[in-house]
Amino acid sequence: MTRAFRFNKVSRRFHTTPRRFRLTLRLVAACACLLISLSSASAQQPLRWGADPSGGAPYVYADPAHPDTYIGYEKEMMDALAAAMDRRPEFVPTDWETIVSALQRGAFDVVVNGLEPTEDRARQILFSKPYYVFKLQLTVRRNEARINSLEDCRKRMVGTLSNTAASRLMEKQGIPFRGYADPVGAYRDLELGRIDAVLMDVPMEQFYARSNAKLKPAGEPFYKGVYVVGLRKGDERLKAQVDAGIDKIVSDGSLEAILRKWNLWNDAQVELRAASKQGSDEGQSVKFEMTSSTFNWREAILRLTRAAGVTIAIAFGSMFIALALGLLLALGQWKGARWLRFICTVYVEFFRGTPVLVQLLFLYFGLPVVGITMPNWLTALVGLGLNYAAYESQVYRASLEAVPKGQWEAAYSLGMTSVLAFRRIIFPQAFRIALPPMTNDFVSLFKDTSVAFAISVWELATAYREMANASGEFLLLGAIVSAFYLAMSLPLAHLARKLEARMNRQRAVLAVESEVAA
Amino acid sequence: MIKVDNLIKEFGGARILRGISFDVQERQVLGIIGASGSGKSTVLRCLNGLERIDGGVIDCDGVRLESGLSQSEYQKRVRVLRRKVGTVFQHLHLFPHLSALGNVAEAPVQVLREPRRGALKKAYELLEVVGLAHAAERYPDSLSGGEQQRVAIARALAMRPRVILFDEPTSALDPRRTNEMRALLRRFSEEGHTLAVVSHSINFITGLADQLLYMENGEVVEFGDAEQLLKDPHETRTRDFLQQAR
Repeated sequence: MTRAFRFNKVSRRFHTTPRRFRLTLRLVAACACLLISLSSASAQQPLRWGADPSGGAPYVYADPAHPDTYIGYEKEMMDALAAAMDRRPEFVPTDWETIVSALQRGAFDVVVNGLEPTEDRARQILFSKPYYVFKLQLTVRRNEARINSLEDCRKRMVGTLSNTAASRLMEKQGIPFRGYADPVGAYRDLELGRIDAVLMDVPMEQFYARSNAKLKPAGEPFYKGVYVVGLRKGDERLKAQVDAGIDKIVSDGSLEAILRKWNLWNDAQVELRAASKQGSDEGQSVKFEMTSSTFNWREAILRLTRAAGVTIAIAFGSMFIALALGLLLALGQWKGARWLRFICTVYVEFFRGTPVLVQLLFLYFGLPVVGITMPNWLTALVGLGLNYAAYESQVYRASLEAVPKGQWEAAYSLGMTSVLAFRRIIFPQAFRIALPPMTNDFVSLFKDTSVAFAISVWELATAYREMANASGEFLLLGAIVSAFYLAMSLPLAHLARKLEARMNRQRAVLAVESEVAA
Repeated sequence: MIKVDNLIKEFGGARILRGISFDVQERQVLGIIGASGSGKSTVLRCLNGLERIDGGVIDCDGVRLESGLSQSEYQKRVRVLRRKVGTVFQHLHLFPHLSALGNVAEAPVQVLREPRRGALKKAYELLEVVGLAHAAERYPDSLSGGEQQRVAIARALAMRPRVILFDEPTSALDPRRTNEMRALLRRFSEEGHTLAVVSHSINFITGLADQLLYMENGEVVEFGDAEQLLKDPHETRTRDFLQQAR
């Protein structure tokens, strides 16, 4: 609600031209673009720039009034920058966390997404001159009294975007933080009390949190960093052109106009103009703090081990739920009254027929609307448990039905009640039949815990994604993470095979014994 | 001990039993003979409450089953009935997850709430009676067909029933074992049990049953003293069957 309202405000502020006029303008522009691209294809080479538009305001995001077009101050800046370079801007939507590797793969020519220069990124890509100076702002809930600075968060959980200056700063200072994929999720979890504070670049804080009545800034903006354009290594010529372009839009005031329009202009930006006037190289006359996170293998393995622990906890917890709930579902579907059978069938079909990812997102973001708020690891545990219960119920049901009817009759004619017959005669037999397929399901549950990354649970897959994106060590880290998964799933698979073999062997040995005896 | 009057059983509109009547005195052995599909086994299933009757009366050791009873009352009486009636199924239905001893001791421990140790001791003695003490720890699928059958008998005996129902007890036995089985059942009746034995083997029934019931298409063709019926049946249909069966 509040978010939509804010969007409306923004769009109202920036789109004051009458609707029909705008449409005509756009048509004319489109025709012009077409003509230009047809006539001078070589003269106006495209400049493909990549950014993450999801939760990307105010940098670049889908216009709420026209979801098929993108707006944002960086969008406008790129229009100006491309014009200054005599290139045609072409926006390529991508994903923030993998943006550096996407650039390296050639998905686009430059990254323009509030990218901060860092040491580990510097090893992978080139940086342009800075085009914006940003600060960080800590945000807390309105009624929060304990937190006034980042230093107060030592024993609390702070949300931020993964792989940003803010996350690196906290990593360096040893402040516990949780990485999110977009600012919306972080501020929402802050509202819901799942985390205690959010540290974010001022532009995002200004757009997403400043006008939220439930939140307030804690202390003044601090730290100083810059945004730069990211380029592939070896693209020195393009870098020179981009730098020249930035110089141009900084000195002719067009960047300032855009920033003022988006309410992002502040005195810090003057330093950039001074730097560009001096014509100094790479803006090095201005001292900016450069965040770094040097890759430490020992620490990486330690963190992966911790993540593996989370994976194991989630897998065991959700398997427990799945086994218990699955049995109830199977019984309801098998022997229950009509209405109960119907409910159980609906449950099973729903959870088998919809993706577990959607179920997790629903539990995490949907349930708080009706007042049920769970921490993310518990959401993953419960969500996977509910999902697998649907599958386990079918294993149970098949196994229960595989026990011959004569077993019931034998138990009944010995005077057993149906509860006693089930407990002592039917269930033990069904459980043996169910054990091998259940062990197999448990193995796949182990792997399925990786969907928990969608709700920022720090389990193995999330750990891999974040650490590999930060360091670029996709190959080695991938091997280590795979080894972790195998170390967990192989013993289970082995156990499943052994159980199956034991059941078969028992049959075989006993059959041979009886031959000998007879 | 057992008195059945005008027993009717229907399955989906088809009348499987159409007015069966007979009675068995205490310590007597009733043989039920007839071709496959004549309804012999259904009579047994009505006698231990696995099928609900659709007409007539069953009176077994004072427990009276009638078609007019409410579901809960019928089930209540069936529970009492099952304490008095033991069943040895044609396909035995031994519990595969329990040893021979466990099969025999399970119901006394769980249903009669006997102490485990005592129940196991008694179960062992019962296995001795049927000659299977050496296989007490073995599991059903390691036992031969005849051994499995003796476990099933011991399992039924463990509940100390007054009436024991046998459905085709010789279907899995060779001639020598068949004679042993006949002697064993004879011994049960001498020890005070009342037996109802369904069989298609005239040979087995001869010398075992005190009374015989010949069924055809869900009806009693002839019922009476076994010796007399086998030697000189009143009905031609009985005579034809006996001739073919021999």
